[in-house]
Parts: sequence; structure tokens; C-alpha cells
Amino acid sequence: MVDITETLDVSGEVCPYPDVKSKRKVKKMNSGEVLEILVDYPLSAERIPETMESLGHKVLSNEKTGTSAWRILVQIK
Amino acid sequence: MAMEFLYALIGGLIVGVLFGFVLQRGRFCMNSAFRDIILLKEFKLAKSVVIALITLMIGFAIFGMAGVIDLAPKPLKIWGAIVGGLVFGIGMVLAAGCASGTTYRVGEGMMGSLVAGMGLTFGALMTKSGVLVDVKTTLQTTVIGTQLTLFGEFGALTPIWMLILGIVGAVLTFYFWGLPALKKRTEGEPLIKFDNAVESIFKKAYPWWVTGIVIGIIGTVAYIVSNGVLGITGGWMDLSLWFTTGNVVVWAGFIIAGIILGSFISAFIAGEFKIRVPKDGLTLLKQLIGGILMGFGAVTAMGCNITNILGGVPQLSLHSIITGACIMFGSWIMAYLLFMRKE
Repeated sequence: MVDITETLDVSGEVCPYPDVKSKRKVKKMNSGEVLEILVDYPLSAERIPETMESLGHKVLSNEKTGTSAWRILVQIK
Repeated sequence: MAMEFLYALIGGLIVGVLFGFVLQRGRFCMNSAFRDIILLKEFKLAKSVVIALITLMIGFAIFGMAGVIDLAPKPLKIWGAIVGGLVFGIGMVLAAGCASGTTYRVGEGMMGSLVAGMGLTFGALMTKSGVLVDVKTTLQTTVIGTQLTLFGEFGALTPIWMLILGIVGAVLTFYFWGLPALKKRTEGEPLIKFDNAVESIFKKAYPWWVTGIVIGIIGTVAYIVSNGVLGITGGWMDLSLWFTTGNVVVWAGFIIAGIILGSFISAFIAGEFKIRVPKDGLTLLKQLIGGILMGFGAVTAMGCNITNILGGVPQLSLHSIITGACIMFGSWIMAYLLFMRKE
């Protein structure tokens, strides 16, 4: 089990807030911490993991939890 | 009349449903495409737009030369293109979707996009025949040439230029984007996996190049069927006039109905349909204002992003090229003001 440090719920947010808010959030977090991102916007659900990896963070998991709902776990580098 | 109506109904719905399906699968939105070039340094959707343009250029050129379609680049109304394009670009960032992006997201159940779509209709009608009609007329007064293209006035040579540019573009994009992507593939992995084709077509997001090519093909087919370019804003106006004044809806209106239906089908099959609303009320207001700005911009620039960028640019219309550039620049201004200034 992974210890989740913080949760960012961006469900209901419109393009590009889920992406922008996730990027801002990880900037403020410390190395090794885990961020849980809850998102319901398909484009962001696909792009956030890609963005996080390109920033050097580790995407621990990316699961579809329901109708248009995803849960992404990111470990800060 | 009845035949004409049926043709518009069936043709428009079929093209619209296909278009909506692919827009949703490919998450094809020019707002994301342009804005994210500077905001997220993310280029996949921008690449889809380029691939769609190249496909359309080749498609329009071939069917134009064969005499199947009548090419008709727009006349250069310079102030309409600049002001309309900029206002449209600013509006689409506020609305969180371009004209087509907003329309397909309605089919995904995003109520904010429905509000933006209403704003788009209202703003467009205000500009076409309402309180802003004088502003539009003034901005569209200066006309340069008759049908000016990138290589002079439109004529018999235009489709040849389109074909040359399209082929050069296809070769360049394949060399710079296609080959590196192919090389990254592990050895022996087939290009298309037929065993899970159903999954790939109906449930997965499309790769950027597939989206681009398919949208190019749909745009070409739409031109052949209706002898004109696809449009979004006109369709929203058509639908609303049908509902409020009884004007019989034509082709463009059914395209809109089709896009929403096609996107709904696509989202529903993939488990992505959900009625949802922005948490923050201010977002809804921004989307409404953004929609109205897009409506004004689209009518002033003689077309939204689809009509100008996917319809006019492949025909090398200078008006559409300038409008397209201004839409992109407008989106960058607004993206900077909204998301980047504070960082």
C-alpha cells in the first residue's frame, strides 16, 4: 500500500484546469511524497500522467474508477 | 423541398455523427491544441491539426481538379480576419473549447460546454443580424482582391499548389514525426493490431496521427456531399432559428445535432459520458462570455476555427490563414493572462 500524502480533486474542472492545478500542486510538494489526483475529464486523465512523467515524477498508478472518473497516483521526484 | 430536407437531414446527420465520434475519441479541440503549445508545451493535438490540414489539402485538391467540388476560398476581409480571429481566440480559452470542442463536449455531458454553446449561438446571432451587425459590417468593409490565396488570386493553378504543399507536408511530417515514432516501437510489433480493433476504435483514445487523417477524410467527404466546407457556428444558429422562428433547418444544423449525438455515442461506449458541471460558478459565467466572444469572432471572421482553419486554410485562402493565426495568437494572450502570469 502506498501512503497518500495529499489528494487533489479536480473533478468537474474544465480544460485545462486539471492539468494546470496538478502541475502547480506537485511543484509545492516534497520529494518522495505521493499525490492522489481525482479527475473526470478524459483528455486530462490521459495527459496528466504524461506530463508528470515528462517532469520526472513517477506515476505509480492510473486507474479508471467509474464512469468518466480516474484516479492517478504520482510520486514526487 | 422535401427531398432537399431529407438529404440535409440524412447526409448532415451521418457526417455529423462520424465527425462527433472522432472528435470525442481524438479529444480534438483547437483550443487545447493552440493553447497548450505555450501552456503545457504539449504538441500532440497541434500535430493532429497539422495532419488534418495536410489530408484536407490533398483531398480538396484532388476532388477540386476532378471537378467534383467547387473550391471557393474566402475573400480577404483583413479587419474581419484580424479582429474576428483575435476575439475568437480569446473567447475559446474562456469557453474552455473551440467551436467544435465545445460542441463535442456537450455530447460528453459537460454542462459548461452547453452554456458556452448557447453563448456562441447568441453572440453569433447578435453579430449576424442583431445589435452588433454594424460593428461586423464596418470591420468587413475593407476587401483586398476577390479570392486572394497564398499564391495570388484563386485560379486553375491553386489546386496544383494545394497538392504540392500537401504532398511536401505529408513527406515532411512523416520524416520528422512519423519515423521517430515508428523507431520507438519495439521490434516486430505490428502497426495495427487487428485482434483488438474493436477496443481500439470504440474504447481507446486515438493516436494524434489517426485523428488528424480521419478528420481530414471526414472534411473532404463533407465537402463532396454538401459542396462546401464544414462549419460549426452556422449550424448552432440554424438550429436555434429553427426552434425559435420556424426557419427550416438545413445541412449545417444537422451537422451540429450529429456531432453531439456521435460524441455521446462514443463517450457512452467508452464509459466517459457523465452529466457534470464546473464546481465554481464563475467558470460557468466565463464559459458563457467566452461563447459569446466566439460567436462574435466567428461571424466577423466569416467562420469559426473549423470553417477557416479546416476549410479555408487547405484552400490556401489568405483570409483563413490570417484568421487562423489570429485565433492562435488570441488564445495565447488569454492563456497567458489566465494561467501563466501568476506562476
